[in-house]
Amino acid sequence: MSNTSQFPCGQTRRQFAWQMGHGVAGLAMTDLLTRDGFFGAPVRAAERDAPLNPLAPKPPQIKPRAKACIFLTMNGAPSQVDTFDYKPELEKYAGQPLPADRKYINSGGRKVGFLTPAWRKFRPGGESGLLVSDYFPNVRKHADKLCVLNSCHTDSHAHGSALVAINTGKTLIGRPSLGSWAVYGLGTENENLPGYVVILDNRGGPISGQPNWANGFMPATYSGTLFRPVGDPILDLRGPQHMTQKAQREQLDFLAELNQQHLDTRPSGRELAARINSYELAYRMQSATPKAVDLSQETQSTLDMYGVGKEPTDEYGRNCLIARRLVERGVRFIQLYSGGGHLEETWDAHAGIESNHGRHGAEVDQPIAALLTDLEQRSLLDDTLVIWGGEFGRMPFSEGQNAPGRNHNPYGFSMWFAGGGVKGGMNYGKTDDFGFEAVEDKVHLHDLHATILHIMGLDHELLTYFHQGREESLTDVGGNVIDDVLA
Amino acid sequence: MPDLSDNGSLSCWLVRLLVWLSVASGISVSAADAAPDFESDIAPLLVRRCVECHQGKNPSGGLLLTTRKGLHAGGESGQVIDLQNVDDSKLLQRVIDGEMPPEKQGRSQKLSDAEIKLIRQWLAGGAKWPDDRELDYFERTNDVRAGRDWWSLQPLVRPEVPQLVRQPQPNNPIDAFVRSKLEAENITPAPRADRRTLVRRAYYDLIGLPPTEDEIKAFLADDSAEAWPRLIDRLLEMPQYGERWARYWLDLARYADTSGYERDQEKPFAWKYRDWVVKAFNSDMSYDQFVMQQIAGDELPDRTEESVIATGFLRLGTWNDEPNDKLDYQYDRLEDLVHTTSSAFLALTVKCARCHSHKFDAITQEDYYRMASAFWAGPLLEGELGGPPAQKLGFNDVLGWTDESPTPKPLHILKNGERHQPLEEVIPASLSSIPSLERRFDVPLDGAKTSHRRLQLARWIADPRNPVTSRVLVNRLWQHHFGQGIVRTPSNFGFLANPPTHPQLLDWLAAEFQSGGRRMKSIHRLILTSQTWQQSTLHPHAEEFEKRDSGNRLLWRSSRRRLDAETLRDSLLAVSGDLDLRVGGAGFKPTISPEALEGLSRKSAAWEPSPIEQQKRRSLYMYLKRGLLPPMMTTFDLCDPTLSCGQRDVTIVPTQALTLLNNRFVHDRSEHLATVISQGSSDQKEQVRQAWSRVLRRQPSDSELDSALRYLVTQTRTFAESEVPSVDELAAERTKGIRSSLVLHLRADKAVVSDGDETRVRSLPDLSSQGHDATQLEVKAQPVLVADGFGGKPTLRFDGSGRFMYLFGQVITAQSHTIVCVVSDDGGSGHREVISNWNGGAGNSTTSLFLGLTGDNTVRFSDAFAPAGNVTDRTKPFVLAAVNGSGQAAVFQNGRLLKSAPELAPRRLDTPWIIGQQGNINGEFWKGGIAEIRVYNRDLTDQERQSVEAELAGRYEVSLSPIENRPRLSPEILALASLCHAMMNSNEFLFVD
Repeated sequence: MSNTSQFPCGQTRRQFAWQMGHGVAGLAMTDLLTRDGFFGAPVRAAERDAPLNPLAPKPPQIKPRAKACIFLTMNGAPSQVDTFDYKPELEKYAGQPLPADRKYINSGGRKVGFLTPAWRKFRPGGESGLLVSDYFPNVRKHADKLCVLNSCHTDSHAHGSALVAINTGKTLIGRPSLGSWAVYGLGTENENLPGYVVILDNRGGPISGQPNWANGFMPATYSGTLFRPVGDPILDLRGPQHMTQKAQREQLDFLAELNQQHLDTRPSGRELAARINSYELAYRMQSATPKAVDLSQETQSTLDMYGVGKEPTDEYGRNCLIARRLVERGVRFIQLYSGGGHLEETWDAHAGIESNHGRHGAEVDQPIAALLTDLEQRSLLDDTLVIWGGEFGRMPFSEGQNAPGRNHNPYGFSMWFAGGGVKGGMNYGKTDDFGFEAVEDKVHLHDLHATILHIMGLDHELLTYFHQGREESLTDVGGNVIDDVLA
Repeated sequence: MPDLSDNGSLSCWLVRLLVWLSVASGISVSAADAAPDFESDIAPLLVRRCVECHQGKNPSGGLLLTTRKGLHAGGESGQVIDLQNVDDSKLLQRVIDGEMPPEKQGRSQKLSDAEIKLIRQWLAGGAKWPDDRELDYFERTNDVRAGRDWWSLQPLVRPEVPQLVRQPQPNNPIDAFVRSKLEAENITPAPRADRRTLVRRAYYDLIGLPPTEDEIKAFLADDSAEAWPRLIDRLLEMPQYGERWARYWLDLARYADTSGYERDQEKPFAWKYRDWVVKAFNSDMSYDQFVMQQIAGDELPDRTEESVIATGFLRLGTWNDEPNDKLDYQYDRLEDLVHTTSSAFLALTVKCARCHSHKFDAITQEDYYRMASAFWAGPLLEGELGGPPAQKLGFNDVLGWTDESPTPKPLHILKNGERHQPLEEVIPASLSSIPSLERRFDVPLDGAKTSHRRLQLARWIADPRNPVTSRVLVNRLWQHHFGQGIVRTPSNFGFLANPPTHPQLLDWLAAEFQSGGRRMKSIHRLILTSQTWQQSTLHPHAEEFEKRDSGNRLLWRSSRRRLDAETLRDSLLAVSGDLDLRVGGAGFKPTISPEALEGLSRKSAAWEPSPIEQQKRRSLYMYLKRGLLPPMMTTFDLCDPTLSCGQRDVTIVPTQALTLLNNRFVHDRSEHLATVISQGSSDQKEQVRQAWSRVLRRQPSDSELDSALRYLVTQTRTFAESEVPSVDELAAERTKGIRSSLVLHLRADKAVVSDGDETRVRSLPDLSSQGHDATQLEVKAQPVLVADGFGGKPTLRFDGSGRFMYLFGQVITAQSHTIVCVVSDDGGSGHREVISNWNGGAGNSTTSLFLGLTGDNTVRFSDAFAPAGNVTDRTKPFVLAAVNGSGQAAVFQNGRLLKSAPELAPRRLDTPWIIGQQGNINGEFWKGGIAEIRVYNRDLTDQERQSVEAELAGRYEVSLSPIENRPRLSPEILALASLCHAMMNSNEFLFVD
């Protein structure tokens, strides 16, 4: 640290920061022009005093069941009938076509084959006996924590728009994502870290890219921050090598002096003071963010539990472990992508369920199980909602005769919740006998989103943002909270 | 609260609103039990509470409540009124039960007791309803929604310029309007800002760049009365004016260079539209033309290539080539066109009426489809990249819009906006919101190629009698001069808008704009010569006035503004002397850090930055890829180009500080500036003065000079003392994380030499611990070990005549893989390979995997990817990297992308692996050096590959491509750079007073 903390005007840096900050947190991050219609029925966008800190923790609208959310996003769409939706009928009708009265869009005009049973066996797990296939043997051990939603359905059969939909509620790009809504509604508990963190698969980002974690029409403050699990987690966290901590402290002090003189002649400069303070926050972020991803703080047994340091679990294991560390540090919303880039690099198992899900399942099964164990052991699970799922599901029939892959299926697929005030050891909703289409207690994306917000203490109908003449919300005009899954 | 009820057309609606409010709150019924008056009591109640559903062709429950006849006819369940036994009237019972109006979003809409009482009295009095009186849901504004009497829809009448009472009458009418309000509120305006502040403000306002210190001095030295108008005229004539103001319009036009979604295809020649906008501003094009060309430039009788380019406005939206349902998607595209057009030109949120009539404004659902009909003839469903094929536009290499036919298929109003629920066919027409201007669109004349609907829509918007168009535009001009518009929601002039702070001024400006031929430059002049614009941001009574008007709605001072993303970046380039002011043409792609590229699904080589020199152009010319907006720009609130954006957010967040403190672009600026300054003078005082002059455009004060000099001393010492870890060490640290994917690692310094001949290499251990050791037992085939090879490190030499080594086991097992090696090449006549598993006998002669060079000295990365780019300086050691996977194959020399291609077709990998020869072909031997080879069983990310390259480059003293290879600056220059850098981070730099 610098030993020249004495300012020319006789102030120490700390005094200076105190005076500037007016109690620091107050002016942390000023959003000068937020025009939000926060909480409540439509209001005219009359001028209101913009909140001083758009990321400050805000009281929930309803009693929260979870403070944080980890969304384990299986990019590319895992097959429900091979993972969490057991369909014995498929064995019976194996080799036969899907009944002709079932209408669907054959995504990409691919070959259509015959009904094909699960590629790996389903077995009961836990006391509940919830059925989970052998693609997730470790997750199965947590069966009693899982609330499996078997009746999900979505609005698109194409990865690009379906991913955008699972993230933002609509198939069209340009809207704020789930995490943005959560942070907009609740703020964040730790101002030294972003409130909404996204960690991508090393193989690449999801298709459609940025719009999947975008702030849409909200201020950029609410955008997801991409976190890299190795090295510096966020952009521009470090300057060039010669800007050592000492040199930087020196520079910041000099900058503060320049800014102080500037402010002295502009006494009403609220935005100027806010910006001065943002430099101190940035300085703290520089040390806080790398610490959040520094796994050398973890014991070997923890690392082993997540499968860090061995293949094929190393990458997702690290990401899951980082997610736990971020939850501990008060980060509100964390999204971990499994699968990146295209086709077989994701869960998009056109070429073969066994080859694809075998590979990706092995990458994530142990890490996810470890995350659930770890959160539970640290008493974090009750306050954390863990979500697992992809952008849609897959067809119960093969892609081509006797072929090993399956095509996209937006009509019925499975996701699961764990932790955060949801019931465990249960299945909710049903697909038909073939696992083709959700038929009972159907869960649309909007229902899913409404429920997630509800669990986090937000009412999806009241959480609105006024934009271009309309009170916008995540669920638009739809969505019902699935009360049956709440503990 | 400012007084809004001044005289003039705008205030009529307010008066009515106040009257209505008093009705709604029951005040007027307090006068005992007199029978309610239909017009003043009942009509507003019905309109406000019932008519939304009980109107039109399909009224809810069959009950029409807009006519007397409808009321008496009743609905599907029979009569609703019983005038004999009023309390038996279903209508009354339903409202008493609270069943009607139905609840909305879980909230009861039950009528108040006063309202129920009114209805009962009205029924008891015989339910009087004038015979010819038809209620219209949109007829007037009430407390929950706007009607057609809404202020922004009313005719434009030039207001009288107010006379001031206590102050001398100002010359500029703007000041008369603003100050008369201040007078009324007993608020005094701020004094004029000093001339130095004003010149900087004028530069940023008009051209978006800072004045140089010399330009400031010249202005300060000219104390003639003409100095100021002359300055404004000069700035308005600069091409940079058009660039600055075009950017605002591009936000409204949702400008980007790509389509968005999975493939995010480029929109070719989108930049020509950008150039068109710049030229339109610079040539002071009349706004009529500006509107007409963008909406219907292809339909104009005097169409030109330029006017067709202007229709790019309609082509710039996002476009999904793989929508879930193409037929549904064409309606989404319609919404984009309706929304962009109506919000940019009219500040009306017409899109809100897609599924139902507008909840708050006088826009019917039919209006939405009327406007949509103008675009319905376009290529919404088919076409090339979402638009008309180029030949249809009649010009080469343009991006534009035109109709597919003059007679499009019918467009139906859709119930709830759903395609499967068509209602009646819409008759193409203007909006009904302004009844006096309402008109049907004529069918085109015989022989027309297009429907001429857009032309008629454009004419309707540009019609001088359309009051909204000019109001909206002058408000936008005002907004960018003051930070806030007179209407502070510049793309929404409807019910939920922020009412105008100075309604009369808005109308006066709009009238002035009209009478001046709708030229923007004259409005700029008018504004910049006003005292209102020239006020200081400081006010002696700021504290008191803040309490009364914290939002400065009355304009009692000027508002300080933060530079926007483009202006900030341009200013950084300007002060470091790097700015390239070339106007127009295709854009440049900025360097984006590999970390930021992680978000792309096709990341390696998906983004190829332009040469550094091109990146010094103004930010306006920055290529905007929808899937990858430049992080530095979004951090500073560049708006998302998905939707038309009328006003950017202005945030102050720590990530902005991180960007300005640490981003390489900013360091390049400060280091360049420091280098230039130190070349000019070695005197530190002079250097500091120069730094101040160039960055802050002024001279430092004595105390600033002193503290800067102290700063230079301290930082110079710090930089001189700091132990910077070697590139090698750092890179090695970074590559740790990817070791688990390493399947082969050979390094010449580990070579095991032959007994008896220390220069002959018998084997190389595989340092990856995968056991793929390299061996060659035959002495004459063994490579030679050169102890003092690349960078003084041991290196293997192959002489191109039969020397090679066998690798043990199957090296690569995955179709995604990365090969990085450090080699030099002395070959030249035929193919030669570094590594290969070619094996004709085993049958992979066309499907093997190898990396080598061709006879033409291009890289070959298997047969599927040859040539893979030309290497340069191949006889010198270089780092060669080949990556395959995630949809792409790419080859790099010294970190520079040579070429990329689609992912290699599947390779057969199970045949024996060889280094120095094309598999077992007995030929194509490597001729040159090989110091190290690393193979990874997956495609490394750009960042990972770069870290490997950096480590290898460090060890073998190879120079990587320029961006990684900056000259090491002296501690003195670094200290000066860090001083400049601090100033570039200062509030004085980032804010305009």
